[in-house]
Amino acid sequence: MDLLQNLALGFQTASTLWNLLFCFIGVLLGTLIGVLPGIGATATIAMLLPITFQIGDPVGALIMLAGIYYGAQYGGSTTAILINMPGESSSAVTALDGYQMARKGRAGAALATAAIGSFVAGTVATGLVALFAPPLTAIALKFGAAEYFSLMIVGLVSSVALAHGSVVKAIAMVIIGLLLGLVGTDIYSGTPRFTFGIREYADGLNFVALAVGVFGIAEILRNLETDRTREVIVAKVSGLMPTRDELRRMVAPVLRGTALGSALGVLPGGGAILASFASYTLEKRVADNPSEFGQGAIQGVAGPESANNAGAQTSFIPMLTLGIPANPVMALMIGAMIIQGIVPGPNVAAEQPALFWGIIASMWIGNLMLVILNLPLIGLWVKLLTIPYYILFPIIMAFCSIGVYSVNSNVYDLFFVAFAGLAGYVFAKLRCEPAPLLLGFVLGPLLEENLRRAMILSRGDPTTFFTRPISAILLLIALAVLVVVFLPAVRRKREEVFVEEA
Amino acid sequence: MSGYTIDRVNLACGLLFIAVGAVFGYQSVGMELGTALRMGPGYFPLVLSGVLMLLGVVVILQSIRAEGEALGAIAWRGIFLILPAPIFFGLTVRGLGFLPAIFCTALIASFASTRMNPLMAVLISAGVTVFSYLAFIYALGLPFRLVGPWLAF
Amino acid sequence: MKKMWVAMLAAAAFAVPSVAGAQAYPERAVTIVVPFSAGGPTDTVTRLVAEAMAKDLGQQVLVENVGGAGGTLGAARVAEAEADGYTLLLHHIGMATSATLYRKLPYDPLNAFDYVGLVTEVPMTIVARKDFEPQDFKAFIEHVKANKDQVTVANAGIGAASHLCGMLFMSAIETPLTTVPYQGTGPAMTDLLGGQVDIMCDQTTNTTKQIQGGTVKAYAVTTPERLDVLPDLPTVTEAGLPALEVSVWHGLYAPKGTPPEVVERLSKSLQTALQDENVVARFGELGTTPSPQEDATPQALKAKLETEINRWRPIIEAAGVYAD
Repeated sequence: MDLLQNLALGFQTASTLWNLLFCFIGVLLGTLIGVLPGIGATATIAMLLPITFQIGDPVGALIMLAGIYYGAQYGGSTTAILINMPGESSSAVTALDGYQMARKGRAGAALATAAIGSFVAGTVATGLVALFAPPLTAIALKFGAAEYFSLMIVGLVSSVALAHGSVVKAIAMVIIGLLLGLVGTDIYSGTPRFTFGIREYADGLNFVALAVGVFGIAEILRNLETDRTREVIVAKVSGLMPTRDELRRMVAPVLRGTALGSALGVLPGGGAILASFASYTLEKRVADNPSEFGQGAIQGVAGPESANNAGAQTSFIPMLTLGIPANPVMALMIGAMIIQGIVPGPNVAAEQPALFWGIIASMWIGNLMLVILNLPLIGLWVKLLTIPYYILFPIIMAFCSIGVYSVNSNVYDLFFVAFAGLAGYVFAKLRCEPAPLLLGFVLGPLLEENLRRAMILSRGDPTTFFTRPISAILLLIALAVLVVVFLPAVRRKREEVFVEEA
Repeated sequence: MSGYTIDRVNLACGLLFIAVGAVFGYQSVGMELGTALRMGPGYFPLVLSGVLMLLGVVVILQSIRAEGEALGAIAWRGIFLILPAPIFFGLTVRGLGFLPAIFCTALIASFASTRMNPLMAVLISAGVTVFSYLAFIYALGLPFRLVGPWLAF
Repeated sequence: MKKMWVAMLAAAAFAVPSVAGAQAYPERAVTIVVPFSAGGPTDTVTRLVAEAMAKDLGQQVLVENVGGAGGTLGAARVAEAEADGYTLLLHHIGMATSATLYRKLPYDPLNAFDYVGLVTEVPMTIVARKDFEPQDFKAFIEHVKANKDQVTVANAGIGAASHLCGMLFMSAIETPLTTVPYQGTGPAMTDLLGGQVDIMCDQTTNTTKQIQGGTVKAYAVTTPERLDVLPDLPTVTEAGLPALEVSVWHGLYAPKGTPPEVVERLSKSLQTALQDENVVARFGELGTTPSPQEDATPQALKAKLETEINRWRPIIEAAGVYAD
């Protein structure tokens, strides 16, 4: 009863004309800025944040901000699909098969899949937030350093499935990613590591710069190889919407992705990052025809996109119930709340019920608007692909530069874009894939940090990973994944795939 | 040559892994290593570097007696025109200011493709500059200086 | 004839801006650099003050986030900026501690800046996981000393306010404890709420709501007087540990060589901004107060910086932690 009353209050708050308008403007602006190449969700929100300060009413401002967030996320997926340029870690996975679909003329279907998958995931996850925020928070708090370490191990082990070529190379790429992730000041000792004495890298390398470089710029360079000979790189666009068969194939991945994303998104710090990677791995594992993955499998878009959006939704939980940011985007949200005169904390739900439930309701409204806004826009985005590629290059490079620079006004981030582009191109020439590298990059610091923290907290006792139940279960899962990956039958299948490609 | 082939791409790849591992490994040794129970800043990267070099060796071993695709064309023109674009922007955005920097960045990248002609390149760069001004400076109010001190007189 | 025209034009071109520049500062938007990323406590403080200063100056006051390397990148940026009053820096206590924490700073904190004034002094609170046994601050100190091998102290990374306060606490009770660093306040607070670590000392900006919500146990506040938002919390001096008095003070700086009349104008504007209703109210919700008028002056900030550099040097050197 309470829940219904609360939800009614929430929808009442969120569906006033002004708040609907703010939500719509937020989604629209978020999409428009987020769709510019090289400008990820964090940069988009940081740029649009000051606009929300102009709104006097905190509920309206936060609803608009939530709208910006969804819009930015979807905008990021759009560039990942259209030009292989993911703006954040989760859409890196979308780029894998989404971009391949686009090259085969199915960009419309990929974008629609992303939108529909996101909406379903958003709806389910919003329900979860409304129903189970407090108990989910309690579970999240049980995750200490040992549990996070074990969770990261699960992520790493499964990452091998991201690759569709050589397993050895995929592992090597993960390790290079881990090493790159360690660049910066060691938080335990203050020692600068692998920074070559450059203070601008003291806080680590910029993720967006790396992703833009190894995915997007490397792709541009590859296209330039055949500059003279090839007229268009994208096959003729066939159908903007998914076919009936494609819709049928995306149902299960969307549901699985939603479940994974909702569960992992609750964990502050790193949980949501794993969700889309994990979903991709899972879909590839259960698919009838895993060789399709990496070649434009619709499940490879539907699953991770749903996981990504569900995770984005449930990552609000620690912020709403505890006032703790789960990621940089949530940190921005908290900053915005404070400026509006609301200091987030464990009491927000009790002290400001209209605000609390209004935000939850607006999450769903925001997702709905995203679909309504973006399904018609798909036609426009797909048209962009008909612009000759040589005209797109300079535009992409200009926006990339602005986007990467705007986050921290750090010139060295731009130098790293160029370096990452070169490295990505070299790797592509050597038939090494960038996705495992990105996963390693994201996990590297978390893995090491939590390993060392767990050892400090257990006073140097390594059995802590097995004696803590959640950690032990996670390690068992990792073992199971390992067994599945290296099981002879599966191995044979992998080799078939490999031969097929060679 | 018959009967003894080597996949040159994978050979290069293995060597690259070993080189990267060596660079990181060499630097890790210079840092405090600590023990497995109380790890120093160098411990974890040193282990990773070791594994990476090992994998490099495996890739090289696999490349022997394997056939592989050739490396294919290399986009030299792209490398020399696309990659410097963000570097140029970084070096000049505060000195020249936002407008000239973004114009030149787009202009440099334009010439990466042989299909581009100068007039088109200038038009596109101007378009990007106008759009960026409207979107980022006028609408969003990002704190960029439009024309920097290098151009002041 | 032609020459005369050129000369007149040139004279006009040079004369007009210089006269106008001296009289009508500011004639364009002023940028305040925050040396941390958007959304953090210092960013919030800056945006609130910037909005109020904009009203007074009659020009836009933009906030630029130049995060990285414990705030030293942003500070270095402003140290090198033109000293025309259009680029300012809002930095916190890190301005003083970085002088010791960083052995290779590209600027000299004491000589690279002109001082505008103190902005606010955010109190710190000593908090523990909610099931930590001791019931008051005295028992807390005894417990910590007696169990010094078990107690863990969380902090948000080297140079963070929680790191500084943690060092000060250990030096005040003369007992080294196990330090557990985190990447930022968020994860550190999460682990404290989850009971994975024992204690932390952090700004009221981060702890007030948690204390009020009962999710952490608070033992003391590090200011000379009790706080309005947490009236039941004793001060460290009341509890017998005056050495732990500390605050995260924020100051507004300009590059060295800024014209004195511009600095004076900024200082006036800061004083006006700090009396702005919205600023007072928002600061209050964060558990802090704007600096009083006599502290929002160049002299007060300069004195504060000098004292604080000297205060922290021995503490940081004794702990042997450096960030480069």
